[in-house]
Parts: sequence; C-alpha cells; structure tokens
Amino acid sequence: MLKKASLFILMAGFGMMSCSKDPISDLSTEETLVYITNHDKAANFNQYKTFSIVDSVLVVENGQAGTALSELDRDVLIRIISNMEKLGYKYVSPKSKPDIGINASWITNTYLNVVSQPVSSYYGGYWGGGGYGYGYPNYYQYYQTSESYWLISMLDFKNPNTVDKTFKVVWDAQIRGAGIGDRQFVDTMVDSIFGQSGYLKIN
Amino acid sequence: MKKIIIIALFVMGALTSYAQEPAPKLYTLPSPFERYTHYLATARLMGAVPLGSFSNNYIDKASFQNYSISIEWVLRNSPISVGGEIGSTYFEKRIPRALYQNGDEALSAVQTRTVSQYPVEIFGNYHILPRTSSIQPYVQLSGGVSILDYTLFYGNLASQDQKVRPKYGIGVGSKFLFKRDGAFGVDVRVKYDGVSYKHEYIDKGISSVNGSIGLFYRWW
Repeated sequence: MLKKASLFILMAGFGMMSCSKDPISDLSTEETLVYITNHDKAANFNQYKTFSIVDSVLVVENGQAGTALSELDRDVLIRIISNMEKLGYKYVSPKSKPDIGINASWITNTYLNVVSQPVSSYYGGYWGGGGYGYGYPNYYQYYQTSESYWLISMLDFKNPNTVDKTFKVVWDAQIRGAGIGDRQFVDTMVDSIFGQSGYLKIN
Repeated sequence: MKKIIIIALFVMGALTSYAQEPAPKLYTLPSPFERYTHYLATARLMGAVPLGSFSNNYIDKASFQNYSISIEWVLRNSPISVGGEIGSTYFEKRIPRALYQNGDEALSAVQTRTVSQYPVEIFGNYHILPRTSSIQPYVQLSGGVSILDYTLFYGNLASQDQKVRPKYGIGVGSKFLFKRDGAFGVDVRVKYDGVSYKHEYIDKGISSVNGSIGLFYRWW
C-alpha cells in the first residue's frame, strides 16, 4: 500500500514538472525589444558640435567582421542621423573632422549545441527478437542557436587618446529582441535609444 | 446513610444498563476509519496572494495556477496525522515598458517577472474534533524544500536563477466528509508559506498566503 502511494506521488510530481510555462508568448514584437544604453559620465556632450556616421553597417559574426548596406541598414543609419540632428549636432562628412563618429554594427553570436540520441540500444526487443536490441551507435544531434543585436557607438574624435591611438567610446546603445531585423521597427528602435539618453541634447 | 449510598449505586447501575440495552453492539461498530490507521490522499487547487517584501518588491499579483497533491497517514487513537505534499505554484507579473538604471547603464524593456516553485514538504496535522465527526478541522505545520525557478524577462531576454531552498508553512483547515464513514470528502485550507530565498529583487524570501480547496479519498 505504501509503495502504491509513493508511486502515485512520484507520478503526480513528474506530471506537474512536465508542464512548463511560456510567460512571454503573449508579448508583441515591439514589446520584446530591449534598449540598453551606456555613457561616459565624465564626458561633456556640449563640447561636441559635429558628427559623422559610417557609410555602411559593420556586420560582426562570431568575431569576423564585414560590412553591409541593406535597406534595413540604410533605414537605421538615416534614422540615427535625423535623431542626432534633432539633438543639436551638425552632420558633416568624415573628411571635415567631425567631433563625434558614430558606428552601427549588427552583431551575431552563434553557438553550436549537441544532444545525444536518447534511445538506448537496450530499449528494443519488444517484437520478440530473441533478446536482440537495436544496433545503434551513439548518435548525436547538433543544433545551432544564434543571437543578434544592434550595437551603436559614439566615438570621441575630438579628444583622441594619442598615447594608445584610440578613440574613446562616450556612448553606446544595444538593441535586442525579436524585431531587430524588421524595417517596420527601425524608427521605434532608434528613437528609443536616443529618447532614453537625454544628456546627449546640446541645443 | 450507607444504605442510601448502596441504593443509589444500584439505581445508577440499573439506569446505565438500561441505557445500553437498545443499542445492539453489532451495528454500532465504529467504522474502520476510526479503528485503523488509514491513508488519505488529497488533490488541491490553490489561489495564492503574495505577502510582505516579496509582494512589495517583485510580484504583488495573486496567482491561481497552483495545485498540490498530498498523502497522509491518519494515526489510530491519535488526533494527529502525518504526510507528504508536493505541488506547483507560479507567480507572474508583467510590467509595461520602463527604464531601469543600473550604474551608468540604462535599460528600457517590458519586464515579465516570474517565480515558479515545486514545493516538497512533510507535514503534521492536529485534528481538533474527534475522528467520529464528519467535519474535521485541523491545524497544520509543514516543512521541506522548494525547488524554485526565478526568471526575470527583459523583453524576450531571460535572467534565470534556479535553486533549492528551505520552506515552511503554517495552516488551518478542515475536512468535510460527504458521508460520516465514507471515503470521499472536501478539504479546505488556508496556509501561510515562507521560502527562504534571496536574489535580485527578492531580498527577504518568498512569502504568500494560499487558500485551497481539495478533494480527498481515504482508504485503509
């Protein structure tokens, strides 16, 4: 009797654990977007007057970089320019020594995962094959997951570090979520990262 | 004087024997549930309300996605029963897009806060009324662990923490038998649950009050 009871509890327990929840299945694409901005607290943005922007998007995939200019990329760059102009900066060509340079990158990290085939070679034999099981080797299945995000950074061209020959990043923004590759959300995304960075305003 | 006492004793003896007479013993045998240690299994549906700092800092929304199953041994000749209970409780709250400051970083996102728990507990019930009653109120003390999963979503990005933490509970409830010596009944219980846990938004454990309604079956 006791055995029966504990078996019953065990089964009920597994039953409960197996129904998992998906609490974010009801989020709209716009709601999945996450905007993360950082800035250099020491930087005084009033010293910058002009800016320029890369002419194409840097695409970084697993540490390898290239450039691209799709319609989506062009939309993003144009929206960044209009936001910067609204904040009071003047858009100039890279040749005319801008105070600030803006980089836009699309970064993808891909991970390779492996699972083993869950069927053991000892499970078979139900057809009465005289004690023979499956002749399985150990199978493994591979699957890939990847994660992409936008990274937009602002470089201080006005005060270069002459010792290290580097430009300091004074502001950067990450955009993550389900809609980042959709042109429909470009305006919302770019407006949001500038919208939550009020300290950038110089006019 | 002595005589009077003797007569009085006789009268009392006669009265008591008279009172017993119309009740033939065969049919008043107490039910096996009174005579033996027996088993009792209960399935409960619960509503839970978060309390204290857990409610103030993380989730204040009541949850109705909770259930549990328990089995207990109702001891013979004792007002006490002991048993084990496992369950599942789940709290969730959605917070519209907001800006979160973390040092120099600003993060704007829709937060989905969740805590799911699989409590595994042992408990003891003290029954207030005798076993013969068809309403059996009890007080309960329980202790065990909670296998818990704290997942905080920013948009569709998740920050997860999984732990096994001690938990305890104090409850009052009552069993209502459909038939006095029958096997089925309803169980109603109100219970305070406390889990000792600390992570990000949760600084003083997870506490909640659960009200449950359950159906039980007993056998020996």
